[in-house]
Amino acid sequence: MNPAEVRWIRADLRARRVQALLAVLAVTGIVTALITAATLLEDGTNPWRGLFERGNGAHVWIHTKDAPDPATLRTLNGVADLAGPYRSAPATLSQEGKKTPVALRETPAVPPSVGRPLMREGRWLDPRDPRGVVVERSFARALGLRPGGPFSVVGLNGATHTLTVAGTAESGDQGFYPEWAPGLVWTLPQTLAQVEPKVARSESVTGLRLADPDATALVAQRAITKLAGQVQRVSTWHEVRASMELDNRLLGVLLGLFGAAGLVAAVLAIANATGGRILSQRRDIATLKSLGFTRRQVVRMLVVEHGSLGLLGIALGVLCGRLITVYALAETVVVPLSSAPLLGIAFGTALVVLVAVWLPAWRGGRTPPLPAAAAPPRGHLSRAARLAFLVRLPPALVLGARDAFTRRLPALLTAFGLAIPMMMITIGLGYWATLDDFRDRPEQVGQAAALTVRPGMMTSEDAHRVALADPDVVAAFPGTEVDALVPGQTRTVRARALGTVSDPYPFAVVEGRLFRDRGEAVAGQGLLDLLNVRVGDRTRLTIGGTPLIVRIVGRVLEPEQDGEVLSVALDSLAPKDAVPPQFYGLVLREGADPGAVRSRLQGEALEVSQAVSLADRLSVIRVIIVALVVVLALIGLANLLTASALGLRDHALDLAVLKAMGLTPRQVMATLVTGTGLLVVLGVGAGAAAGALVSSGLIDLQGAASGIGAGIGRAPAPLTLLLAVLVAVGAALLVALIPARKAARARIPVTPR
Amino acid sequence: MSMVSTPPALRTVNLVKIYQTGGLPVPAVRGVDLTVRPGEFVAVMGPSGSGKSTLVHMLGGLDTRTSGEIWVEGTRADTLGESAWALLRRQKIGFVFQFFNLVDNMTVADNVELPALLVGASPKHARERRDYLLGELGLSGKADAAPAQLSGGEQQRVALARALANQPQVLLADEPTGNLDSRNTKDVLRLLGEVHRQGQTIVLVTHDARVAGLADRVVTLLDGQIVDDGAVLSARRRPKSGAGDVVELRG
Repeated sequence: MNPAEVRWIRADLRARRVQALLAVLAVTGIVTALITAATLLEDGTNPWRGLFERGNGAHVWIHTKDAPDPATLRTLNGVADLAGPYRSAPATLSQEGKKTPVALRETPAVPPSVGRPLMREGRWLDPRDPRGVVVERSFARALGLRPGGPFSVVGLNGATHTLTVAGTAESGDQGFYPEWAPGLVWTLPQTLAQVEPKVARSESVTGLRLADPDATALVAQRAITKLAGQVQRVSTWHEVRASMELDNRLLGVLLGLFGAAGLVAAVLAIANATGGRILSQRRDIATLKSLGFTRRQVVRMLVVEHGSLGLLGIALGVLCGRLITVYALAETVVVPLSSAPLLGIAFGTALVVLVAVWLPAWRGGRTPPLPAAAAPPRGHLSRAARLAFLVRLPPALVLGARDAFTRRLPALLTAFGLAIPMMMITIGLGYWATLDDFRDRPEQVGQAAALTVRPGMMTSEDAHRVALADPDVVAAFPGTEVDALVPGQTRTVRARALGTVSDPYPFAVVEGRLFRDRGEAVAGQGLLDLLNVRVGDRTRLTIGGTPLIVRIVGRVLEPEQDGEVLSVALDSLAPKDAVPPQFYGLVLREGADPGAVRSRLQGEALEVSQAVSLADRLSVIRVIIVALVVVLALIGLANLLTASALGLRDHALDLAVLKAMGLTPRQVMATLVTGTGLLVVLGVGAGAAAGALVSSGLIDLQGAASGIGAGIGRAPAPLTLLLAVLVAVGAALLVALIPARKAARARIPVTPR
Repeated sequence: MSMVSTPPALRTVNLVKIYQTGGLPVPAVRGVDLTVRPGEFVAVMGPSGSGKSTLVHMLGGLDTRTSGEIWVEGTRADTLGESAWALLRRQKIGFVFQFFNLVDNMTVADNVELPALLVGASPKHARERRDYLLGELGLSGKADAAPAQLSGGEQQRVALARALANQPQVLLADEPTGNLDSRNTKDVLRLLGEVHRQGQTIVLVTHDARVAGLADRVVTLLDGQIVDDGAVLSARRRPKSGAGDVVELRG
């Protein structure tokens, strides 16, 4: 680059430090938000990375008949460390007559360095309490096991042992239950020896931590060769990761949308700021050209100046994103964003920024070299302004209204540049309202039963009676959850029988109707998508070997299992599956505290679990909404500053004329503020209206994509929206007021243009 | 005044400029043949709208011609593209405008150094040239000031320094005193005179007869055509005729 260009860029940046800083901050904010969102998304949709990293997991697990010699495996090329060998034995967990296969695995009392389970609740194994075991969390959840709760296991020799849950833990070495069965229970060696005394009936499990994860297949092959004939089964981290992926699609869809919208808003802000700046510099550009700057040099100069601000913002954003995930989100996120999405975000935004900068720069380059010809256009009284004069509005309003639209394109860009952030803020408020609704009216998203009780030691009739006796319990619906095989699927789906035909559970039906007869069912969107059926279709499934043909008569909002749940009346199931009911879904009196009811019922020796509100599961969205509103406000501010700077420059001469005509400084100020304010009101109003219109539809779309199903979307409350609009307009006017005040007070020289 | 072998500094052949305003052709310059010899000081006069600014803009390539030829130092220039004109301006043509057109964001020093840097001079050389020019024009103390802090006369002197930074063959001045008071006008004219005495070719557009009196030759335009072209020996001894009459008649 020519030193003259460098000199000009430096001078220009010095002259507009605040705007330059704002441009950098806006890009930084967007990139930070994108990276944070992507990190959360990656972590949320693929918990494996975090678990594996934190637990220092083993890449390969080898199941052998006898314990292999650790030294042999350790010397294998590519193996960095070993977990085990641990003895592992199958057993059956017996719970209210229901039998679930389980794998007991011995683990040292001191958590191992490789393949370390990550404690979630309770405590780790303690030699002083050999009955205490640690249960894998997804398994514990599925079975309703809680720390301190007893359960019994039956060994292969038929003996029953009572163990207690000391704690629950997660592990990146094994997928979640029920996709990954049998459920895993970590025990002390002596506990395992008690349940399964015969070594011959157990197997040995050894984990290999590799120096290079990419060499997994090779090393696994070497190990198999080395342990010739001994190996019964090998699992690698690839399988574990695959089984854990796509845990929460809704969150992913939400974050993706916000990221894309934020990027659009940032592009608008940058294009607007760059365009506005270049427009206000047309005279300087013409002067430079008269000195002998070529068009190419001008374009290059502008792209470098504005582009470097954007690139600086991206670099800072990447840094901030990293810092946030390392420090602020240290609890939730362990592994920083992997390099592919990180590079994607960095280069994607860089490309977008450069295009957004190049377009106005290209236009700037086409400025004719004649400084006089580059003067801004004169405004003319629009029809609206003339009308305003007719109805005798204050002159400041009329003049301001004229000013606002002197330059059509920038006016449009400004209004648009405010409308987009406002629309996104409104949509964010819609999400907020939706989450509030999840929390306050769980029955509308299919969570009418706040508590689920399992009879535990009692008979189910007793449990029903005890539960209903509680003053806060309004209804108790008997229910059973079974796995159902569906045609064309290699896996099972959840079939839930809840309530009866005569006394149906209050499902949140959003399409069709609730079942009224045996053989009728309702389903979540996820299941309809999975089976490719619609409401009104018949489908055939197999439950516990018994075929069942049901007609799907309605779609319900289904927050469980990504919506892949079929719900029927309890009397639709064969009696062997339905009686006695596994649990009762309790509907509480309005305003009752589920926690209090739960502890009362637990006091009655019932097993009670509380439904996890969708709002809690999605609570990270609230953080993102707040962060996004801040970033969007910043973008709006950048837009506004551009607009008011441009307005001021365009009207510097007019101001002198206005003053000469006898307008007081106050009226001049009002004129300027009206000019900007009109665009603000227009943009904010349009944005809020568009946001309110699309927000519930958009949320519904995402609900459908995530399996819960359409029908969850809520528009922001009118009062909230009004408040947001007022705050936005008020803040914008305040921002516009400062330069206007300065301009009105200043003695304005009659400068030429 | 000049040798036959040296080509004219500027030459136009039947130069025409027609603006399209709202679809209607508005002729601004209608067939101007003008030759400016090296070292000559030509004043272009005429009433408002006579096409004098358009003519001088076309001479510097700031505006495109509709037809006709422009020759700069014996090289045809009207066929050049925008970039080639820019390169030509860098080295051979300096501009001074009525409204100074300094780059507001840059200091006086930067403004003056810019053209030298643009042609690839070293920063050191650019600085030396700037020091020399500002010293000559009596602005040594203002190097670090922003243009807005200077008076109109000072700004025009900075603009003059900038125009002369690359020792251009031709200095084109478009109403350089049009926005100055009489004292500053005198200053700027004195400087132009000095520059001219050092051999600088100058084409100056003005509608002020006193300003034109400084020139060797006054060309008068009316409605885009040359109506008078005459040498002036001295402002004081100039006979009251031709250009002067037009100006005085038109106010």
